[in-house]
Amino acid sequence: MITPADRFLLAAAGLLLLLLYALFWQGSGRASRVEIVPGDGSPPLHLSLYHDRTVEVSGPLGESILEIRDGRARFVDSPCPGKLCVQAGWLAESGATTACLPNRVILHLNGGEERFDAINF
Amino acid sequence: MPSTSEPAGDLEREDLRIAWLAALAVTIHVAESALPSPLPGVKPGLANVVTIVTLAWFGWHACAWVSGLRVVAGSLLTGTFLSPTFLLAAAGAGAALLVLWPASRLPGRGFSPLGLSLLAAMGHMAGQFLLAWWLLIPHPALLGLLPPLMTAAVIFGIVSGIIALRIVEQGPPATPS
Repeated sequence: MITPADRFLLAAAGLLLLLLYALFWQGSGRASRVEIVPGDGSPPLHLSLYHDRTVEVSGPLGESILEIRDGRARFVDSPCPGKLCVQAGWLAESGATTACLPNRVILHLNGGEERFDAINF
Repeated sequence: MPSTSEPAGDLEREDLRIAWLAALAVTIHVAESALPSPLPGVKPGLANVVTIVTLAWFGWHACAWVSGLRVVAGSLLTGTFLSPTFLLAAAGAGAALLVLWPASRLPGRGFSPLGLSLLAAMGHMAGQFLLAWWLLIPHPALLGLLPPLMTAAVIFGIVSGIIALRIVEQGPPATPS
């Protein structure tokens, strides 16, 4: 009783599910702002992700170089031995964080889907 | 499919038939509303079986009546009439009927009850989700719920489709009433 149209539909439904997971289960959405905490104790920088630039911040080991481009941010270089921060690559999702612990520099992405500054009850 | 040239006396029997089927669908609907749900919006939707069997035996028109009556009477019985729950159910049922209309009119062999049930379940979920998205919670985070919800719809659509297929294969009752 199962017709060719049924088989086609079953395959299409499977594909649709894969597509939905691929589309909507990829993190929590694009970030719009980036917070960079320098390692030397100076106040954190809050920058827009839509403004391409290279940022140098200092820490105990020296200068860490960070890059903001096309709505993403990354560590380009850091004077640490492991370079884990550089290996982390580009960050784009809101809430994504990476850090260069030896140089005490933190890179944190936020914004994007935060619709309110504060909510009071 | 009911022929359009039915004698006038059959009209009452058609009404009676719809009432019976709707009562059956409402019973299943109410019984299911007592089941705990892991996620809002996820339920087996076994009343879909009645909708699909009605579609297969008596056509889209009867199917639309049974489906509409189920939503209204079911919500009256569970106390959700005109609440968001009711609106979601109505949007889901409406979308499912909208999908079933062309799907049940395909040339050739078209869809079996299994395919129709799967289409109805997915249409139901899509309609429900769109209403929730536009009206109730227009927040991007809601989209994260769509994949698991649609997965549930596909699974339950196939399950009730298999049940509907088994019932339809036995043929319609000779004299419904």
